[in-house]
Amino acid sequence: MASESSRVTTATEARFRINYPNSKRRAVKVVALDAESRQLVDELARMPWDGASFFTSVSFSGNAAPPKASETGSVEAWLRDIAGQTKNLIEEIETADVVVMVSAAGGDAQAALLIGEACAVRKTTVIGLVLQTPSTTDEETSRTLKNMRPFATMLVIASGVEYVEAMLTALRA
Amino acid sequence: MLRKEQNDLLTQTGPGTPMGNMYRQYWIPAMLAEELPENDCPPVRIKLLSERLLAFRDSNGKYGLIDEFCAHRGVSLWFGRNEEGGIRCPYHGWKYDVTGQCTEVPSEPEESGYCKKIKLKGYPLIKVGDVLWTYMGPPEEQPPYPEWEFALVPPEQTFTSKRLQECNWLQAMEGGIDSSHVSFLHRGNLNSDPLFKGAKGNQYNLNDSKPVFEVVEHEGGLFIGARRNAEDGKFYWRITPWVMPSFTMVPPRGDHPMHGHFWIPIDDENCWAWSFDYHPTRALTKEERQAMIDGKGIHVKYVPGTYRPLANKDNDYLIDREAQKAGHTYSGVEGIAMQDASLQESMGPIIDRTKENLVSTDNGIIMARHRLMKAARALNDKGIKPPGVDPKHHHVRSAAVILGPDQAFKDAAREDLRVRPGVPQSSV
Repeated sequence: MASESSRVTTATEARFRINYPNSKRRAVKVVALDAESRQLVDELARMPWDGASFFTSVSFSGNAAPPKASETGSVEAWLRDIAGQTKNLIEEIETADVVVMVSAAGGDAQAALLIGEACAVRKTTVIGLVLQTPSTTDEETSRTLKNMRPFATMLVIASGVEYVEAMLTALRA
Repeated sequence: MLRKEQNDLLTQTGPGTPMGNMYRQYWIPAMLAEELPENDCPPVRIKLLSERLLAFRDSNGKYGLIDEFCAHRGVSLWFGRNEEGGIRCPYHGWKYDVTGQCTEVPSEPEESGYCKKIKLKGYPLIKVGDVLWTYMGPPEEQPPYPEWEFALVPPEQTFTSKRLQECNWLQAMEGGIDSSHVSFLHRGNLNSDPLFKGAKGNQYNLNDSKPVFEVVEHEGGLFIGARRNAEDGKFYWRITPWVMPSFTMVPPRGDHPMHGHFWIPIDDENCWAWSFDYHPTRALTKEERQAMIDGKGIHVKYVPGTYRPLANKDNDYLIDREAQKAGHTYSGVEGIAMQDASLQESMGPIIDRTKENLVSTDNGIIMARHRLMKAARALNDKGIKPPGVDPKHHHVRSAAVILGPDQAFKDAAREDLRVRPGVPQSSV
């Protein structure tokens, strides 16, 4: 007589697994942090997604520099979605399950800092994607990583832009 | 999640499948050298990549891996007589050499040359370290021999085992690049297993169950760094290399031997989990080697006379609910290898990845799948050689290091992650 484990791990028994949607839609907000990433995010946004929304730029309320951590809760910052509409950064993060920051290696640090701080305050999961090209230097990559590291639970350095789509699909975005 | 066609692509490795074609680009571990211990020893039936094969060692010490079945009437050559430079079918005496070439057909006149027209499929079988390796791809594309450090150090510094795992290779391999499960599933073993205990790094593992990850591509695959809090604002990094298609190394602990795995498909519903331990600069102690033989660390105890784990699905993995309740083991299953294997086999023979819900910390797995699919398509569509074939991609090590908060492991641990002959592993 085979054990219960032996019986239930067959391909035959696998067919009797209950077939139902076991998760709800997740709000994934994808933000391009620099000009190089903007085109990629813009293209991704045109594909069919479940709960993902895409933003192609970040702007601050007249500050040349990003706010310090202690000021993050009151900062005013805006995202622009692919339709060109301006969205309040804080409101978007408050409704996000996951925020994905996409940056070319060597990209601007200010937006990463601002978004990261805002997510940290709200305990929102952050994934940082750093896109490398063959001409990217180690210093550029490391600088961008350093900007994202304090906030991201997952940092990925990818050499192909197609990885962003693969990751979003895998996460059911 | 993966779409069904993606899951099929990654999990099917039989002849003619895209992933099967890719596996056939590599030298893969076929058997332990101990399975063919002497010339003219009994042959061994093995299945690899959904092909039934027979391995034997002839009178001159040459290894052969050929189609299991006689070309005459399909008898298994496992019953054959291994003698005088070949394996002879006991039914009508047809004989084959290590390449699969038929050398005798007794019923036909020798002058007829009939035997020259008979050839079984044959693959090269070579010994590197404790392992017999085979290459099952086109002969004209055979790559240079493997150069994994565990197989190249002197014999007294290394130990290799294998165990049957009764599920698809991919779900087994994905456990090897999923560093976040260690703080849960294996937490009972970190301070008790003789091949793990005593390392300072164990406390970082146990004190911080929410590691933060960085995934970095390298030529042969990935480095997956798991970062946990250490003292003075520094971080304890455990860095796992993955080399395509299925080589991983576990980050080391103290001066314990380093270890790692290969997962090699037997067919689409079973695989060999290969496990190796080695120390780059010293012999394994008598106690360490005995612990490995006894199934400690990443090794297992066997059903006598087999490579099937003693704790297996037919006995519910000898689950001990009292040990689970008392916290001696997290899942109730004893031993690190079977803690992993029991859960991976519980997923079913091939997990349906259309139903899974991955999270941000699964990016190592997501990236590995992405690279496997990309490489399989590049090979099948354009003939591009996949990463991990070139022996220089084999020259990697895992590492466990303490780094400052601003340091990227890909830069700060660059030297720690490559093989440096004569230099010990970087470990905490």
